[in-house]
Amino acid sequence: MSDAIQQIQKAIAGLDTRAGKSNVGTIVSLADGVAAIEGLSGVMMNEMIELPGGLQGVALNLAEDTVGCVVMGDISTLKEGMEARTTGRLLSVPVGKGLLGRVVDALGNPVDGKGPLASAERYPVEKIAPGIIPRKSVDQPMQTGIMAIDAMIPIGRGQRELIIGDRATGKTTIAIDTIINQANANRVGLASGDPKFRPVYSIYVAVGAKNSSIARTIGTLEKAGAMEFCVIVAAPAADNAANQVFAPFAGTAIGEWFMENGQDALIVYDDLSKHAAAYRQISLILKRPSGREAYPGDVFYLHSRLLERSARLAGKGSLTALPIIETQAGDVSAYVPTNVISITDGQVFLQTDLFNQGIRPAVSVGLSVSRVGSAAQIKAFKQVAGKVKGELAQYRELAAFAQFGSDLDAQTKGVLDKGDRFVELFKQPPNAPKAAEIQVALIWAMQSGYFADIAVKSVQAAAAALQTHLESAKPKVLGRIRLGEKIDDAGAAELKSACDTWKRSFKA
Amino acid sequence: MTPAAARSEAKRLLALSLQDGTVAPDRVAAVIEALARRHPGHELRPLLRAYLGAVRREVARAEARIEHAGPLSAEAAKAIAGHFSAALGRPIRPVAARNDALLAGFRVRVGDDVTDLSASGRLERLARSLA
Repeated sequence: MSDAIQQIQKAIAGLDTRAGKSNVGTIVSLADGVAAIEGLSGVMMNEMIELPGGLQGVALNLAEDTVGCVVMGDISTLKEGMEARTTGRLLSVPVGKGLLGRVVDALGNPVDGKGPLASAERYPVEKIAPGIIPRKSVDQPMQTGIMAIDAMIPIGRGQRELIIGDRATGKTTIAIDTIINQANANRVGLASGDPKFRPVYSIYVAVGAKNSSIARTIGTLEKAGAMEFCVIVAAPAADNAANQVFAPFAGTAIGEWFMENGQDALIVYDDLSKHAAAYRQISLILKRPSGREAYPGDVFYLHSRLLERSARLAGKGSLTALPIIETQAGDVSAYVPTNVISITDGQVFLQTDLFNQGIRPAVSVGLSVSRVGSAAQIKAFKQVAGKVKGELAQYRELAAFAQFGSDLDAQTKGVLDKGDRFVELFKQPPNAPKAAEIQVALIWAMQSGYFADIAVKSVQAAAAALQTHLESAKPKVLGRIRLGEKIDDAGAAELKSACDTWKRSFKA
Repeated sequence: MTPAAARSEAKRLLALSLQDGTVAPDRVAAVIEALARRHPGHELRPLLRAYLGAVRREVARAEARIEHAGPLSAEAAKAIAGHFSAALGRPIRPVAARNDALLAGFRVRVGDDVTDLSASGRLERLARSLA
């Protein structure tokens, strides 16, 4: 109680008793989440507007006589003739470690019922991206825990890697698995006491998703113990379009706090297709000229200025972005998908055909790419997985001849058999990311021929058995791999010994 | 007539309605009469609406609307308007309106700019700083 009294006394002592000055206007029309306000002669672009009833808006259209203000909240409480005033501030959100484990809306207000946020700082939602000089090249791995991605489409800290595919192909699952993997790695790394270990904090921005989907995602993250390292920014489908437009920027501001304070963060935008649709809605209501597919002319700039804020900074931290785009009927040449593909540093392309064939995650290795590449892989991974992509490309070329199995030469058959086993090895259940050292060991075993005489349908079970054996029998070798060491002769010998032991006891 | 054309025309008509820098009622009446003669009905409504908006804004610019709690003498109102005239470099006339919700002090609006010296305004700023 005395703290509260002291706080009030301090505020009274520090109160500015000079005249309060503001710039006001009158609401002349309200429609579809946008208020047209007459007056506000001193308003600036993107300035926050204070509306009656504690509502806030953002000035997005500065016309000759009126200001188009996007209302961030329930517009039904407003009426024509009400007064609005400028605040002199840009839209900002609370940031800091106090947001970890919390669910907030696009304005940074907590919506999880766990009380106020423990946050002392606020960052602006819109900010100019870092320039060229402050950036550093991406050479630290961001392990997703998904073998198909970490082996062949490696992502680095500070990279923007797009996850693109049709509906229900596993895009969100890949993002959630990545978040869970960061949490798992954080726990191991922080427990080890390694001073060089850098945890990765995650921000999941849900735009236009169903409330039930967001609730399910939160449940999955809580079950995996990942929420303590994660912030959720929720702008569900029931929210107004303004909240859906600003949510990704709010999430980026939260991620920038970690980056500016020398830490690493990962942000998932799920998904930018709905984000573009919300922006289109707002722009059409503001009567801005529409272009291709009725999107406004600056829809590219909407995403480019968002994604350019994810970077690795010299002397500071990094912000890795995993934007998600939903395609229609696999059309990657549509407007918004091509925009985001050209902005990002690569894409993970998920195909419905592969998903239906049971290849999950349904990553199309041929169409997926990481422009950072092996620069973002640990040494051991580069050692074992360097040739996998090429081998699988060769496998796909030869797979057309698989129906003529009896007429193939031994080498071709070998390539096909190995390819079949690799495809099977890369299948992974959802919410079960694999640690990097386990992935390296499994791929090493595959490359060394330990799976050659195991039936394709038994490869998954064999890999699980091998993983269990390695974790119990060879934790030191795994530990060295995890710390980024190459597999030297001694390490290879230890792996060989472990695999021999496992193989002797494994029954397919 | 497009809204942009109506706004542009309304600006021109406003310039014709001013005398010594302020809106003159007789000139406004003359402008309206001339408009009614020259423009057909479907063009007249948007034009009049735009003109009304322009006149309203110009009148608001020339007025210091003083909301006060408690009594405010005519001299005090004149002094307040005089202060804004000097600051803005144009004649401002006072218009007083009682508003007891301010608790004490007064609030002055000239055009879109509000200067708040009321007790309720200060309490609001205090509440915002504590939030």
